[in-house]
Amino acid sequence: MAGTMVPAILAENLGKTYTRRKRKSGFWPGLRAYFSTESERFAAVTDLSFRVERGESVGLIGENGAGKSTTVKMLTGILVPSEGRIETLGVVPWRERRRLAQNMGVVFGQKPQILWDIPARESFRLLKVMYAIPDDVFRFTYDEAVERLELAEFIDTPVRLLSLGQRMRCDLAASLLHAPAVAFLDEPTIGLDVLVKERVREHLIEMRRRFGTTIVLTTHDLKDISATCERLLVLDRGRLLYDGSRQGFEERFAHGRTLLVDLGSEADAATRGALERDLADDDVTFTWDTPHRLRVECARSASAPKVTASVLEHLHVADLAVQGAELDAIVTRLYRTAKAPA
Amino acid sequence: MTTLAAPTLRQVIGGFCVLAQKTAQTKLTYRLATLITLLASGFAYCVFLLVWNEVYRQNPHAGPLSREQMLGYLVIAFLVNALLILNVESRFLQRVRMGLVAVDLVRPLGFVFVQLAQATGDLLVNAIYAVPIYVVGLAFAGSALYPASWLAAVLGGVSVALAFLIGFGVSYLIVQASFVLQSGYGVLFARAALHQVFSGLSAPLVMFPAPLRRVAVWLPFRHEIETPVRLWLGQATLAEAPRLLLEQAAWGMGLVLTGELVFRAVMHRHQIQGG
Repeated sequence: MAGTMVPAILAENLGKTYTRRKRKSGFWPGLRAYFSTESERFAAVTDLSFRVERGESVGLIGENGAGKSTTVKMLTGILVPSEGRIETLGVVPWRERRRLAQNMGVVFGQKPQILWDIPARESFRLLKVMYAIPDDVFRFTYDEAVERLELAEFIDTPVRLLSLGQRMRCDLAASLLHAPAVAFLDEPTIGLDVLVKERVREHLIEMRRRFGTTIVLTTHDLKDISATCERLLVLDRGRLLYDGSRQGFEERFAHGRTLLVDLGSEADAATRGALERDLADDDVTFTWDTPHRLRVECARSASAPKVTASVLEHLHVADLAVQGAELDAIVTRLYRTAKAPA
Repeated sequence: MTTLAAPTLRQVIGGFCVLAQKTAQTKLTYRLATLITLLASGFAYCVFLLVWNEVYRQNPHAGPLSREQMLGYLVIAFLVNALLILNVESRFLQRVRMGLVAVDLVRPLGFVFVQLAQATGDLLVNAIYAVPIYVVGLAFAGSALYPASWLAAVLGGVSVALAFLIGFGVSYLIVQASFVLQSGYGVLFARAALHQVFSGLSAPLVMFPAPLRRVAVWLPFRHEIETPVRLWLGQATLAEAPRLLLEQAAWGMGLVLTGELVFRAVMHRHQIQGG
């Protein structure tokens, strides 16, 4: 095992640039492109620096194409960075891939990890030998996975006959069987129903508690992050937008609460104007999603009871909901802000 | 830097054996498909044998080999070829196209050992199918299929093992090509054509026109089929045997090492398809 002072992950000014051929749509442009060597450079990750200590659980989030998967692939040694310095468990991942693999677990949510044509139990046996997992460790991780992820029902069925959710559970179990020092989980709950997602989160928490596994979790389901991670790394177009505690993130980016108002009848311009004048001194923003749906974003300084009372007074309200400062809402707002034209 | 625990040799060997076994198990899942392939190619080869049989019937001195020698050669060549049909490329090309190669790269066995273990799994299953081919072949060529001597049998066996290494080495290079090209089907078909012509599968190279024979000498393909067959049947002299085996070993090691060097270079520029 590595020395205690070595961080689980160290990335300094990390960058990855891809070269891709220029392709055009349509038959003739496509044919011309076939004989052309024209290509373009595309920076998937730029100047990324962060450090993850042993035992931390970090959520890596960002919109599609933000560079999450590329970052994970560099951290696991699958991709060689174009620039910068990178260490996982104290080694340069792409240079010492085998050594790192022995101590690392990986789940790629859309790529099956275990053999397709044989039952998962057989793959688990293969992994026991391949990773030289001690009997006592294997007994614990195997039993924990079978019980927590409810694998018993289909563990002897060939993997190709399993549903996506069943296969994902097997993949997750397989990636953690050797109790790795660090686990990279790229969308491990993709395609799972809410109950199974809950099971997966419990399994991650238990593995971390028992073995001190460092977890790097990439997901679009922010409930995964809320349940399992204390720290967030938010990527936007290959750059680090935020690095810090989940709580700090919520405090920094949560603007307050959002009132979601469904109207029984459409409000005319005069009514809308009256409402906006009434709350002119409060720090609120009105967004009419549809003529029957109003979103009122209240800053922390605004008084929610006053805003609610005013809405009820001016509008014919059919339904009303208050959305708190949940991670989902904050991240959605953050993405919207990042996309908005300057 | 740190002293991160590395996979032990025992672990690598153990993992290799179990992965080979599981690959064989996987291949046996599709036994009907394998059987159909085998029957179809077996039928085509039987026709091929009948044609040569007819050629020799019309002209007993059609080539430098006698009819029995020729039929013995062709059946053993088919047997060795069936034994060494490895699914390395087809398995891998599919994985490259789907971006599944990422999974292979995070195994402690190392990429080349994962591929070699799977190829060994293919060989194990092929060996099961080779037995009936040999039995059917006896009907065509009878005692002409027997090894020339015990020593010839041992030399032939060693040569088949080295031919496996060469076959794997060529496949491993094609795998690297598919990293670069994102689809290695073009290279795969080129390899199949070169193998068909220069391995001696269709006929012993001694029957080839001189220019083709000269080209074949500089390629590894003849050592995949012709060399083991000639050693088994005693068509190569004992004096030739050490040179042939050394050439095979050099080709096998050279191809695998070249593949590994190319792999390291390719890893610097490859892209995994999909998110």
